[in-house]
Amino acid sequence: MIADDATMARLMALSQTGDRQAYATLLAECQKWLKRFYARRIVQHQIDDLVQDTLLSLHRKVASYDPARPFLPWLAAIARYRWVDHLRKVYKADETTFDEGFASDDSEPAIVARISLDRMFSYLPPAQARAIELVKIEGLTIAEASHACGQSESLVKVNIHRGLKKLATMIEKD
Amino acid sequence: MPTDTHEFIDSLVDDLQPSRPLTLQRGFVVAAGSAALTVGVMALLVGFRPDLISGNLNPVFLLATGLFLILGIAASFTVIGMGRPQVGNIHVGWTWAAAMAALLPLTAAVLSLARDGDVFVQSQPAQGVSCLINGGLLGLIVGGALTMWLRRGAPTSPEQAGLLTGIAAGSLGIFSYSLHCPFDDIFHIGLWHSLAVVVSAMAGRLVVPALIRW
Repeated sequence: MIADDATMARLMALSQTGDRQAYATLLAECQKWLKRFYARRIVQHQIDDLVQDTLLSLHRKVASYDPARPFLPWLAAIARYRWVDHLRKVYKADETTFDEGFASDDSEPAIVARISLDRMFSYLPPAQARAIELVKIEGLTIAEASHACGQSESLVKVNIHRGLKKLATMIEKD
Repeated sequence: MPTDTHEFIDSLVDDLQPSRPLTLQRGFVVAAGSAALTVGVMALLVGFRPDLISGNLNPVFLLATGLFLILGIAASFTVIGMGRPQVGNIHVGWTWAAAMAALLPLTAAVLSLARDGDVFVQSQPAQGVSCLINGGLLGLIVGGALTMWLRRGAPTSPEQAGLLTGIAAGSLGIFSYSLHCPFDDIFHIGLWHSLAVVVSAMAGRLVVPALIRW
């Protein structure tokens, strides 16, 4: 069970005053939330590293959260930024297994659906989303991805480049 | 970075320091304060134009100065918002102000087609370069304040944040210097005053992203 937005917002407000106990609880909750958020959108063995990267960004940017606003859309913006940054850096992953336990389910609250990574993908042209999924997320080589999706190798590269560029411009897009 | 997540979280908790949140009110104070300081520095160094004090103002001056002020405010507030990320934020409001301000060089360009004589000379190039430089320098106050804000904040698009910081700095810088510049000619304003914003925007786009740390 992961804490709700109101609870996390309260913990963050306390953390900004220097309350370490609240901060420890908040980070633990964020870690669980982020693992779920990134599930199926990054190679399984890289999730812990990406979660730690995101927690570090959260830590450095604690002041950028305004307690008058909801918490999860703020956390999601940072998580999306880190995710796109990660995709840009990763050229090839060697593992493609996903933990099905983190798969999203239909009971997911509407706010989580709105800020999800799938939502970002939905704004990309299908060919760009497919190329990124195959190479950056599932870890196929360019040649394998080309064979799997029927695009030429150069088109796969172009679609990845354009797709990542577009993703970087829509990090805060609802 | 420690590999164990619990150990990693403990290290972050140990490092926690109290921090003042970047609220909208604080952002307004930063933007308005730096803009006011820019006008104050201009008044102190070169002084207001005489007709501003007498109240006998030229309509072109009022329109042009007002457009730069509106663009500066719109860009500043957008930068303030970019430092406070949130899925659902929209950063497009400034584009309407930019489109309105673009009417100044556009008007000058259209009028120059029908004008006899050297329009460039009419734009007062010697004074124009002075406006370009001084407007840009005054803009450094706003640019510096907004860059500090972005460094504390978490802009998810550092390139766009840099561009808008440059637009805000250039617009408010040339707005301030317009309160001194005695030329109301549309060719002078449309070329040199607009150029100050364009140059500042390019500088912001190039320099500011490198100063933002995640």
